Amino acid sequence: MYLKTGVADKELVSNALPTEERRASGPYAIIECFQEIPCNPCTEICPFGSILPMDDINDLPRMDYDTCTGCGLCAAICPGLAIFIINESYSDTVASVGIPYEFVPLPQKGDVVKMMDRAGEFVTDGKVLRVVPNKKYENTPVVTVEVPKDKVNEVRFLQLKQEAEVAMPTADPNDEENLPDTTIICRCENITVGEVRKMIDQGYDDFDELKRLIRTGMGPCQGRTCRHLIMQEISRKTGKKFEDIELGAFRPPTKPIQLEQLIGGKEDV
Amino acid sequence: MREVDIAIVGGGPAGLMAADAAATNGASVLLLERDGHLGGQLVKQTHKFFGSEKQYASVRGVKIATILEEKLQGMSDLVEIWTDATALGLYEDGVLTVEKGKEFVKIKPKRIIVATGASEKFLTFVNNDLPGIYGAGAVQTLMNVNGVRPGQRVLMVGAGNIGLIVSYQLLQAGVEVAAIIDAAPTIGGYLVHASKIRRAGVPIITSHTVTRAYGKEAVEGATIVALDEKWQPLPGTEQELDVDVICISVGLSPLAELLWQAGCEMRYVPQLGGHVPVRDHHLKTTVDEVYIAGDLTGIEEASSAMVEGRLAGLAAASSLGFKSDSLEADILDCKEQLKSLRSGPVGDHINQGMAQVMLDK
Amino acid sequence: MSNPKTANVVIIGGGISGVAIAWNLAKKGVKDIVILEKKTVCSGATGRCGAGIRMQWGAEQNCLLAKMSVEFFENANEILEYDRDVEFDQGGYLIVAGNEKENEQFKKNIALQNSLGIPSKHLTPQEAKEIVPHMDETQIVGATFCQKDGHLNPFNTTEAFAKAAERLGVKILKKTKVTGIDVKNDKIVGVETTGGYISTPLVINAAGGWAQEVGKMAGVDLPLYSERHQILVTEPVELIQDPMYMAFSLNIYIQQTPHGSFIMGRSNPEEPRDLRQTSSWQFLHEMINTCTTLLPPLRKLNLVRQWAGLYNMTEDAQPIYGKVDNVEGFWLACGYSGHGFMLAPATGILLTEMILGEPLSIDITNLDLGRFERGELCFETSVV
Repeated sequence: MYLKTGVADKELVSNALPTEERRASGPYAIIECFQEIPCNPCTEICPFGSILPMDDINDLPRMDYDTCTGCGLCAAICPGLAIFIINESYSDTVASVGIPYEFVPLPQKGDVVKMMDRAGEFVTDGKVLRVVPNKKYENTPVVTVEVPKDKVNEVRFLQLKQEAEVAMPTADPNDEENLPDTTIICRCENITVGEVRKMIDQGYDDFDELKRLIRTGMGPCQGRTCRHLIMQEISRKTGKKFEDIELGAFRPPTKPIQLEQLIGGKEDV
Repeated sequence: MREVDIAIVGGGPAGLMAADAAATNGASVLLLERDGHLGGQLVKQTHKFFGSEKQYASVRGVKIATILEEKLQGMSDLVEIWTDATALGLYEDGVLTVEKGKEFVKIKPKRIIVATGASEKFLTFVNNDLPGIYGAGAVQTLMNVNGVRPGQRVLMVGAGNIGLIVSYQLLQAGVEVAAIIDAAPTIGGYLVHASKIRRAGVPIITSHTVTRAYGKEAVEGATIVALDEKWQPLPGTEQELDVDVICISVGLSPLAELLWQAGCEMRYVPQLGGHVPVRDHHLKTTVDEVYIAGDLTGIEEASSAMVEGRLAGLAAASSLGFKSDSLEADILDCKEQLKSLRSGPVGDHINQGMAQVMLDK
Repeated sequence: MSNPKTANVVIIGGGISGVAIAWNLAKKGVKDIVILEKKTVCSGATGRCGAGIRMQWGAEQNCLLAKMSVEFFENANEILEYDRDVEFDQGGYLIVAGNEKENEQFKKNIALQNSLGIPSKHLTPQEAKEIVPHMDETQIVGATFCQKDGHLNPFNTTEAFAKAAERLGVKILKKTKVTGIDVKNDKIVGVETTGGYISTPLVINAAGGWAQEVGKMAGVDLPLYSERHQILVTEPVELIQDPMYMAFSLNIYIQQTPHGSFIMGRSNPEEPRDLRQTSSWQFLHEMINTCTTLLPPLRKLNLVRQWAGLYNMTEDAQPIYGKVDNVEGFWLACGYSGHGFMLAPATGILLTEMILGEPLSIDITNLDLGRFERGELCFETSVV
């Protein structure tokens, strides 16, 4: 599901957590980076070597929880904002979570903010304990918030104020064709999909043929926007593979230029 | 006719690195950037980059642009930078024509490194010409360069890295993101990006596409529909979203017009984002004087673009006889870095793609 | 659909000449005609040309051929039952004289043209400016004008012929390249293509820029060569220029299409003889320097695109029509030297008459291949 929704599965998250014992014994960083991408700043920033060196820059980060102090530098530097600082032993009653937060205005110490889960759903209120601006680390502030102990590994975002729910009403089924003939496909020359289809039906099946006959791609952009759309339409209607459709000629200049700028030039001719 | 050892087209991450590498080895460089400032897409990237220290990992893109630009400014005896300079044509005699401000200029470089990046793909759907429909790049420019919000509530179409990052930046700018949809059954971008948007309450809906925008003068809403395994719309699954912005982020196409003009051999490689140039391991195309770097070689992350830029810069300088003691080692280092960046699962498709366009194995 | 294995006539080249010949032959009842096109219809010189037509020529024969074509084009939509429009815009041709010598020749040409029923007239620079108000009349010493001249949409015109031919049963095989011509005992017996072998007793070489190469496949070294000619197009603007503006002495033509864009082309006398269709930056300078001198306000237009196409040239800049004597069944319709588009209606009619052994509507027997050996070249001075 992660690949479809962007919300990490529970299992992925729980596997990233240290042992119960370690969780109870002071702050730690949790790295919610579950996809191999070429990226390694976290391994280089950690002053304790707790994020183990990678053999390959695409490796997933690995954590040595024995040495991690939860200092928070990794949370500040991670370009993916995927590292959070958890302190489950913050007090007897509450835990704290440090969240990288790149929005303005920043919350202030003492503010009560809404805490959201990985899918943006409201979970609980939380009190801001501190805001570290991290100027040295490209200004990614880490906001640490006090939350109930059982919610600390659920909440991953904060909001300062109530925002409108995302409404997704279902409309009446749209009975029109998905792409009616009147849709514009070539903006420079104001040519519709219908005109293009009509020509394809007559057997014209490459870009230059259409260009000559109905001027698609003849305007000032020379097809920069419409060339691919027209090729897609040819492909769709004829069943030809996209790569088998000829792109047509590319001709200078790349953008229009006033004739008077070309007056002269004789010394080079 | 302006002459120079190496002309570099594109002042993005690849072009900047190429300029640095070439000049460090003693080649004179003319760097052309069509925008008014260097950095290319870097200047819109307010997020921290992935990769390793060599590719400025954990530094925000916009800052990387500054770092690279400052490096070049320290080499002003060899590096000339033209902003507001668009390459118009690359002709068979090796002449590069450029619109510099309002001036038409011809350049005869000994080598040219094309690092023009990519252009955004677009979608056909009903009313796709309504105001309020943007490419993700435009939204980034509006917000992160010009400080303007594109609207109040956005539908993001595309859950690749760009769609995810721009959604995050929209949230940071105080714009609501109604949903991120993607026609694919799974999220294409890095999952850590997805997670940080998801936990801010933005739904990510896979196997869905946009079928129409509606609204009188501008976008007032969008209809999305679920897709079956064959990517065909499922009747009865239409939903309407109240949004005033539809942001299209459905991928990039290598921007290779100059290479087509110059007659470089091109091949269609879906894994690399479309038609890309055939090249050797030193990023030389089938036209001897023409080298390539960055998204133009295949759509990847900026980290790879930077390494490719450096490699192309080194290789082009080397081909002209410029040598520093470390040149060979530096070239090897670039190749190692690229290999490493592409060695994981997310690099699989890049490697498959590269195998189809390499002249030398 | 599998490709035919046999044909009565194979036409090599899906440009305007090929489709016009095919349609005329089919209309006269010839069956099993196949056109072989290596790319797509209109992808060669036809699709790259300025598509102008004028009756203002210096030689009687050319005037007559052009007149025949103009009369056809005036009714092409109806004759070819075309569902779109060939866009024949009879805004006239304004041909300017850059020097007195040229001006005097123009006056002689007009006498000839008028005697043939062509309504051309001589103009002073001031009179010319009334027709093209944005011209710098001080650059010229005189001009000739014929309202009945004009230009067409080359893509639509070719499509109109192609579709009409297909309705009469002509098969157009696109993306089918000729790889060899099978000649046995000095006789055409078939054609090798990338889509298979086609037996045929008759092949028409209408291959435009590649006509020399096609000739070689049949073992004939045709006195032809190709050279690229370049052209550019601007962004569309309001319609401000009716006629085609042309200057022989400066080798240029400039027209505004009904779409609003300006198309302008220029010949370069130093162009190398080869099959390159690439563009050059030098052309941009040369073309625009000349254009903005003659028509100064056009300096404000925006260039959108430049391209090139092949002229298939002969020594006397006239086409080669007719059969090849020592290869039976091999016919030529090539070497147009830059005016193949405008001649196409006449080409179709006359070549059909020749092949079917009918009396010729206009005598073109002097434009045969043999004229080069006989040394009877037919020079025409009024060319760009």
